Amino acid sequence: MKNLFIITVSFLLSFSYSQAQILAGTLNVTGMPSFTQSVNAVVVEAGIDDATVGFESNFDATKIGFVLDPILLVSSSLLCEQNVYRYSVYINSVNAPANIILEAKTTVNSGIRFPTVSIYDTLLIKPLGQRNLTPSNGGNYIVVPNNPTQAVKIMEFIGCRKDIPIQFRIKPSSLCPAGIYNIEINYTVIASLTL
Amino acid sequence: MKNTDYILAALFTLCFVVCGAQEILNVTISSNFIFGGGQQSNFATLSLQPIAIIDAEPDPSNTISFGLNSSTLEAGLPATGIGGIATNDNIWLNYTYRASNLANAKIYVRTNQIVPAGIVLKIQVITATSIGGSFIANQNSSPITLSTTEQILINSFASGYTGNGLGTGYNLRITVENQSGLSLPSGFEIIYEIK
Repeated sequence: MKNLFIITVSFLLSFSYSQAQILAGTLNVTGMPSFTQSVNAVVVEAGIDDATVGFESNFDATKIGFVLDPILLVSSSLLCEQNVYRYSVYINSVNAPANIILEAKTTVNSGIRFPTVSIYDTLLIKPLGQRNLTPSNGGNYIVVPNNPTQAVKIMEFIGCRKDIPIQFRIKPSSLCPAGIYNIEINYTVIASLTL
Repeated sequence: MKNTDYILAALFTLCFVVCGAQEILNVTISSNFIFGGGQQSNFATLSLQPIAIIDAEPDPSNTISFGLNSSTLEAGLPATGIGGIATNDNIWLNYTYRASNLANAKIYVRTNQIVPAGIVLKIQVITATSIGGSFIANQNSSPITLSTTEQILINSFASGYTGNGLGTGYNLRITVENQSGLSLPSGFEIIYEIK
């Protein structure tokens, strides 16, 4: 039993700390979200904060994807088929004005598997599970930290994936002056072999 | 160690690996994403509308009635008001204000029609309270004799909101001096304006 314990622990820990074996990939981010508050999205009851209303971007205001980089003559598609990892996506913002709440979300299995068909899908036992996307918070909005160092996990997916839509919602307090602001939104992807 | 201890230890390790996924990530530590991960950013533009809405609570039943008590009228005696002077302390002023170009605002008060001779209408802010609001009180505490000329009721203030309903915002006292029991013209209104 003791040997079994040691083997089990070693196996699990090797999955956690074997990131150096993971192939390099590229995070692709497209789309420049534009949040324009319409007069219909403004609070109408005097005394109430405008943050209680909020307004959304298009569902695909930004799209992200992550694929493995080609190596010599081996294409990204083939590498993604043969090397399936778990990817966790974190999001944070920088320079958002004070008294603004920025939220983001995606939906279950949004985006497109890359490649769409893979040998991995036919395996009886898939080490990391199906090549699916699981949004954090059940697909409901998550507050994006306006913090240059801290990011919150918005989703995770198994295997390479493209065109994952991200929708945003802004809850602007009345304390934030009217005007036009630029907000930098950062996306960080971590790859792992963790179960 | 007993076998059960090994099993518990293995389960604990499994939970550490599977359940211990961090929701928050320090994105300044490049080792978090350098092996197989990535980091990108995009920019969003945010455009917010200015807001200036004001409300006299209770709403919509904020009509103030003064007058003679018909049950006390007696033929042959003078028809007088309730002591000639009546007050109402039950009106609360709520507002939500989002500045444009950081410009402060004021709240003005006036009547929409000329106050008949023989009647004196006064208004005074007697207190400021915040329940669920966010504002810095800056009222003109002196009684104001109302006329069609706008006068400052609330001095300069920045973006904020008072909270909604009775008991929050600015509590007004309206006094009617009406020694002769005159009537106000039909459609007479007290107008509050935020600008």
